[in-house]
Order: sequence, then C-alpha cells, then structure tokens
Amino acid sequence: MTRADLIALLPEMILCAGGVLLLMLDVVPALRRSFTAIGILVTALAAWGAWVAYTAAPTDPFLTWNGLLETSRVGLALSWVILISTALCLLASDGYLRREGILSGEYHALLLWCACGLLLMLRGTELLMVFVALELLSLCLYSLAAYHRRISLATEAAIKYFLMGAFVSAFILYGIALVYGASGSTRFADIGRALGGGAEIPVMGTFGLLLLVAGFGFKMSLVPFHAWSPDTYQGAPSPFVAFLSVAPKVASALVLYRLLEAVAAGGSPQTIAKWSDVVAALAVLSMLVGNFLALVQRDIKRMLAYSGIAHMGYLLLALVVVERKSLTPVVVYLLAYALMNAGAFTVVAMLYNRPGEQHLITDLSGWGYRYPLLGACLAVCMLSLGGIPPTVGFLGKYLVFLDAVGDGLVGLAVLGVLASLIGVFYYLRVVYVLYMKPESRQPEGLLIDGWGRTAAVLAALGTLVLGIWPTGLLQWLLEATTVK
Amino acid sequence: METIFDLLLGNTLTRLVFFPALAALPLLFFPRGSSRPAKIYTLVVSLIELGLALAYVAAHMGADGTFALVRDLGPGGGRIPWISSYGITYDMAMDGISMPLVLLGIFLVPIVVLGTWNGIEKHWRSYAASLLLLTSGVLGALLAFDLFLFYIFWEVMLVPMYLLIGIWGGERRIYAAVKFFLFTMAGSLLMLVAILYMAWTFQSLNGGVWSFAYDDLLRLDFPLSTQLWLFGAFALTFAIKVPMFPFHTWLPDAHVEAPTGGSVILAGILLKLGTYGFLRFAIPLFPHATEAAQPLLVALALIGILYGALVAWVQVDMKKLVAYSSIAHLGFVMLGLLAVDVVAWQGALLQMVNHGLSTGALFLLVGMIYDRRHTKKFEEFGGLAKVMPLFAFFLVFSTLASVGLPALNGFVGEFLILIGSFRTLGWPAAVATFGVVLAAIYLLKMLQLTLWGPITKEENRGLKDLSAREILALVPLCALMLWIGVAPQAFLQPSRQALETVLADYQQRVQQPDVTQATLRPGVTDSAAASPVDAATLAPSTSGPTSEPTSETGR
Repeated sequence: MTRADLIALLPEMILCAGGVLLLMLDVVPALRRSFTAIGILVTALAAWGAWVAYTAAPTDPFLTWNGLLETSRVGLALSWVILISTALCLLASDGYLRREGILSGEYHALLLWCACGLLLMLRGTELLMVFVALELLSLCLYSLAAYHRRISLATEAAIKYFLMGAFVSAFILYGIALVYGASGSTRFADIGRALGGGAEIPVMGTFGLLLLVAGFGFKMSLVPFHAWSPDTYQGAPSPFVAFLSVAPKVASALVLYRLLEAVAAGGSPQTIAKWSDVVAALAVLSMLVGNFLALVQRDIKRMLAYSGIAHMGYLLLALVVVERKSLTPVVVYLLAYALMNAGAFTVVAMLYNRPGEQHLITDLSGWGYRYPLLGACLAVCMLSLGGIPPTVGFLGKYLVFLDAVGDGLVGLAVLGVLASLIGVFYYLRVVYVLYMKPESRQPEGLLIDGWGRTAAVLAALGTLVLGIWPTGLLQWLLEATTVK
Repeated sequence: METIFDLLLGNTLTRLVFFPALAALPLLFFPRGSSRPAKIYTLVVSLIELGLALAYVAAHMGADGTFALVRDLGPGGGRIPWISSYGITYDMAMDGISMPLVLLGIFLVPIVVLGTWNGIEKHWRSYAASLLLLTSGVLGALLAFDLFLFYIFWEVMLVPMYLLIGIWGGERRIYAAVKFFLFTMAGSLLMLVAILYMAWTFQSLNGGVWSFAYDDLLRLDFPLSTQLWLFGAFALTFAIKVPMFPFHTWLPDAHVEAPTGGSVILAGILLKLGTYGFLRFAIPLFPHATEAAQPLLVALALIGILYGALVAWVQVDMKKLVAYSSIAHLGFVMLGLLAVDVVAWQGALLQMVNHGLSTGALFLLVGMIYDRRHTKKFEEFGGLAKVMPLFAFFLVFSTLASVGLPALNGFVGEFLILIGSFRTLGWPAAVATFGVVLAAIYLLKMLQLTLWGPITKEENRGLKDLSAREILALVPLCALMLWIGVAPQAFLQPSRQALETVLADYQQRVQQPDVTQATLRPGVTDSAAASPVDAATLAPSTSGPTSEPTSETGR
C-alpha cells in the first residue's frame, strides 16, 4: 500500500467514514435534524476527494492498488454524477423522513455507503472488484428500499427487489466464473485479449459474458430484465427512488461498456457484429417496451420507472458500437438523466403524502398554480425527460443520436426519435395536468421544506443551464475521452 | 459570456430575439390579483420590441431599399462559437427573406395584446409570459443560421404555444394542444436525424472538423437517393407546419380551440415558419430532391388550395372557416415556392406577410364577436352591420384583402405567385386560379351570413360596437394591407436580392449531374471567421453579380 494508493481511494474513504460517523451521532437524537447537512458535507468532501485523486494521478487512466482501481477523467465525471444524485437524494429525503417520522442516521449512512459502492464499481478494473462493490451497493439498496417498514407496499417492493437482486448476483458470479474459466483472467483488459485474440470467443466465455450482460442489464433495468423496477419504485420511499433510479444505472452502464469494450478488443469482426446486435436488440426493446408501458401508467412513479427503462434504451444506442469511442455522449446522457429524474422524484416526494397508496398523476391537477415553484420544476424536468430543448435532456439525446448516426445506425436513430415521440406524449400529460386541469385534491399533510425545494430548484436549474451552456463541460469531457 | 452582454446591449439581432424572453421574467413579480399592470407592461414591452426591430432594420436597410445579409458578430469579427466541440455556433443573421417575416411577427404582438385585452380571463401573467416566450422562439427560428440553433428554437416555440392552446383554449383544448405538439414534434424529430446525418457527413468530409452552419452544410452534395431521404425529413417537418394536405388535420383543431391571441400568432407567424423552412432550408439544401419531388408537392399544394377552399365553404363556424381558408392560402404560398422562380418567390414571400395581416385581422374580429356573444356560429348572427357598423367595416375590409381585391395586399401576392408559377409550372397555375374564385365565394358567404340581411336574433340587437382599444388593434393591420396593396414595390425590393442569390445557387446546382457519393464543394472561404460580413460595408449599394433587375417584380 503506497501513498498513491491511499490518495486514489480518498473519495471512498470519506464516504465510508462519513457513514460511520452518522451512525455514531445517531445516539444523540437532538442531532438528527442536522444529518442532512452533515450528509451533504460528506458528499461534497467526497467530490473534492475524487478531484484530488484525479489531479494526483500522473496518467489518465492511472492504476493503483496493484491495478485494481482506476483513476480517470470519465471515472471522475461519473463519480460526480453519482455524488450529485446522492446529494439531491439527501436534500429531498429530509422532509420526507420527518413527515413520516422515520428520521434516523441509518438512512443517511446507508445512502453514503451506496455511493461508496458505486464509486468502487465505476473504478474497478476487474470483475471481482466490481462484484464486491456491487454487493456493498446492493445490500444497502435493499435495506433502503424497505426503509419505511410500516408500509406493507414498501416491504413488498423491497422483497421483490431483494429476491431478484440475489438471483442476479448469482448470475453475475456464475458469469465471472465462466469468463474466468474461458479466459484465465478477471481483468477487463485481459479478458478480451485472452478470449478472442481475433478469433471466435469460446462458448463458455460467450455464455459467461451473456450472464454478465444480463446481470448489469438488470441493474440498469433494461428490457427484458426490467420487471422489478416499476414495483420497487412505486413502493420505495420517493426521495430514495431519486437515487435508486439513477446512480446504480450510472455505474452499471460503465461496467457494461467495459465488458463490450473487452469483447471489441479481442473478438473477430463477426463476433463484434453479433454483440452489436445483442446490444441493439436490448436498446430497441427497452425503448419500445419502456415507452409503450409508460404511456398507460396512471401512477407517476410507475410512469417514471418505465420512462427510465426507455432512457436506458436511448443510452444503449451509444454503446452499440464501442470501438474507438468517446464516452462523452454516455456521460452527458447520464448526467442529464440524473438531474431530471432526481428533480422529478423530489417533487413527487413532496407533493404526495401517502407512501402506501398510488401516486396518481391526476392528483396533481391544477397544482401548477398552487405550488408555482415546484410545479415549474416538475414541468421543466418533464420537458427535459421528453428531450425538448433547451434542456440538458435534449443535449443528451442529441449526442446519443449523433453518435448512432455516426456509427451508421441511422435506422436505430430514427427508431429512437420515434420512440421519444411517444415519450413526449406522457411527459406532456404531467404538464397539462399541472396547468390545464382544475384542482381535484386538497393539500393535506404535505411537508414542503426548504431542503426539498432546494433540491428541486437545483435539479431544474441544472437541467436548463447545462442545456443552454454545455460548452465547457463538453470540452472537458471530449479532451479526456478522445485522448486514450 | 461577455459577448452575450455586449450583444444584448447593442443594436443587434440577439437583443431583438431575447428581449421579449427577458422581459417576461419580471412578470413573475407582478401582483396576482389584478391583471391590469401586467397588460400595460406587456403592451409596453411589445411596443419597445417593435421599436427595436424598426431601429435595427432602419440601420441596415440599403439606400435603394435593398436589404443585405447582416449577422451578429463576435468580438473578433467572426461567428460566435457556442458548443465549440461540435462546431455549433451561435449564428444569428437577417437577410431580405427573414426580414419581412421578423417584422410581421413582432408587429403582431402588440396587436394581439390589444385585441385580447379582455378576452383572456385567467392567469394573465402566464398568458403574457407565454406570448413573449413564443415571440422569442419564433424570432430565433427565423434568424438562426446554424442548423442546430435553428432546431433548438424550432422546438422552443412549441412549449409556449402548447400552453397557449392548452390553458386558455376552448372546450377541446387539451386534445388540440396535444395534437399540435405531437404533429409538430413528429416531423421535427426526423429533421433532427437528417441534420445530424448532414453534420456527420460534413465532418467526415472536412477532416473531422464539425460544423452545423447553414453556409457550410449548403456545400454538401448528396446523391439523389440520400437527398430524397434528407429532403423528405425536412419537407415533412415543414409540410406539417405549413400545413400542407394531408398533414393539415391538426390545424383546424388548434385554431378553433386556441384563444384569439393564440390563433392570430399561429396563423400570423407560426405557419409561416413552415413555408420559410422550405424556402430557406429544404429547397436550397437539396436541389435535386426538390426537382424530383416537385410534381408531388405541387399536386399537394393544389389539393390544399382546392380542398381548403371547399371545406371552408361548408363550415358553419366563423373560426373554422378562417382556419380552412388558411390552408388554401398557404397552398398558394407553397405553389409559389415550388415554382422555383424569382417572381413566384417574391409573391410567395409577400403572400406570407399578407396572410399574416389579413387572417390575423379576421381571427381578431372573430375573437371580438366571440367575446360579445360567446358563439362563432353563423346561424346566431345576421344583420350585424346594422348594430355594429365599425365591426362590419373592418370585417369587410379584411375579407376583401383576403379575397384578393386589387388595391389591397392579397391581390399583389396572388398575382405574382400566379404569374411566376405559370412561367415555370404551366397548367397548375391555371388550376390554382379556381382557388381565388372559391375564396371569393366562401369569404363573401361569411360576410353575407354575419353582416347582411335582417337581424334574426334578439340578443344581437344590443351588441356594442368596437371599442377604441379594439379599433386601435385593427387600424394598423388595415393600414398595412392598404399600403402593400397600393405600393408593393417598397415591400418587394428588400427581398429580391436574397431570393435571386438563392435561386441562382439552386439553378446552378440543379444543373450539375448527380453525384455518386456525398461530396463537399469548396467554400468561398474556408472558415467562417475569415469572412465577416460587415454590415457597414455590405448594406449600401451592393447589388451583387446575380441581381439583374427583372421587370415583372414591380407590377
């Protein structure tokens, strides 16, 4: 263990220690009101730590811990995306936890550990490291999904998530074993070389890789591995869903990219083409199924769950061809998705007060006038999710579709825009319910606090500002991802 | 960032585009209860905007009444980079083609505010904000010379219009608003893919350097098969917006359900963006595809003229009649554009303005009578000329302008379109002439059923005539109709040079043989920054090599 190793691990250490600290402080109930602030502080420190680790690295990417942990600009950017969604989730949770009377330090600690697991997953350069990080993440996620234990729907959601997740963990582990058996390595860089060497990948290796794709596809809730997400989103605490629906997908998308890159590095052209077809099929299915099912949802959380499935489908368009690829579209898309989805769930968390019941879209009727600020934030997030300029949601779609067109996938790009047209329909429905329908519900038992408002405003503003002025961000990302 | 502030403070297009949007922000802080301060504020803002527009045009108008291309320049004199990693620039420019439409768009806003002073009963602040944001979006789309920027503004326009229809519209407003949004979006998303494909091709032919600039993408020659796809995507977008038959079905719904202000803006300027798109983008970018698709599109334009007129004829609702008459009138404009002839193009451009004025006035008048009687059905009216003589005067005036009575504006536009398209297209122009006859029939029918005859309904006896405010809204429209009708030269002159340049380029390209794969023609100058078009040097006396005067334009 060298000094460089320790510096590289700084953000994870900060998050881990922050979580432990919060658990210890929990013995003094009077301090609970300040947990959100402490959590935000820890997240900010971790973001700073990630920056320090990046600047201390002499090369990009830079390997530490005997090659287990990678420090790179893409990793840094995605770490920040994860930390942003952690911070937004913390901000949104405070009011919710107080309203439901379940405020305690475990929630914040578990969330910080989730973030820690995600950061490790992002930066892991080999499969076992990724698996361990994934387990750290998953266990925290299961507990958080069940956090509101008095609500049966939350427990049910968590059990579903846990059972499916446990299966998937087994899949992933089995996949790792098979890939190891076929290639003799668990390192992404070596797998590709060992597996193909330009020839066909052996059946065992292919099967292992497919299991891995299925596993991380589950975490990204791609069709056909998506069935858990609407139920879980519906039952889990709304502010937590702001995190659940974004952060695990960010890390899983990068792992998926690394797997595909490994195939592309070693496979023959036919093999690469076959894998492209697999990814394209996942993308098309996710876009179509996600959008069509979102269309018929009456519950806003379920609608957002299906829309999230569709969004991962769009994202995959940029991963169909992975050779010599800049990751900029993926990073920007994930950032956009993190902001707009977190913004939407934050508002949902504040405007619905019965966690066990349905969150009907029509319950928001006319509330755009009753809550002008929150209504506007929700509307902006919806337009951004629908990909309407000048929001960052449009920018992300633009980059992804540009990437697809550049790879010669014009057909897929056309399918993508048509699918997003369906999306526009159900996102607009929220806007029209907010502003064009008479009120149907009296606000009772709502707790709209400053933290939550801040989260919603930050997310909506970020969506707009990055959509209008992405120049610096794009330049910074392109510099990193084209120089490899 | 500093560039932006400099531009906003100077006499620039940026100020023109963003002033309404920025001026919408203070509306947030207006009192909720009373709408009067917000109304006065919006009126003042829209008048200031009109002043800014006139100041800008006056500053760049040539001495002989021509208008050369002027663009907003960055500090170094070049185009202003925006998302530089992808070669996207913030390129705003105005030429003789966009100038009349920009003026029209800005001119209509204070009129809408005045004309709908009492018609909007709820959320006046939001109404005004939507109106101002819509203005910014429309102006941006008209002035953007970077295809990415154009696309952004094109989509930005949708949201405020969606709100205008959806919040302040009639009974089926939500259906109409969603239909409007989805129809427009369906086309524009395909256009986005086409733009991306073009930019990618440009980038791969240009050594990896990206550009979305109009001038750069204009240098791309695609094989006909590719051109047809790209042209299809662009043409579909614009055809939906125009709207051309058979993509018109959203229009009657949107018009009928929209509040008066929304209808005026929609008919006055939003639809023109479709025809403007053909003239600026679809036709010049893909000349071979235009030539190949010309018969089909001409047929659709003719169907639009006749079908719109026939359907308008059988309407029992004033607003629907005017809405369908829009389809017919814009069919004329499309015919003129497809004729690819400078006279027809001049006529088409003028007719876009004419239609904005006369249909705008008609929608306002329908709105005024609706405010009084809360119905738009013919059967409820009759004999209104006796109780509302002023109303009758303005309705007759606007209707006659719309019919195409000589000495009013509609005549000049239709006449030029018919002459020009007869020269290049032949018999379709003859068929289109029936449209003029039909227009006279259905519009005069409207006059007959509402104004003349005995007063059949007792409620109509007590109707108040137009108020001073309403007259104030209508007089400028009618004055312009008359002015264009008797002195069209002043309105035709500014656009001629721009149109001739586009046409010359089109004809030169269309005569070249089809290419087998996409090629990039060398540009006049390699980088955009090297050719700053300076307003001061270009505006006076430059008549360009291609602008030989044509005798027909002056009629």
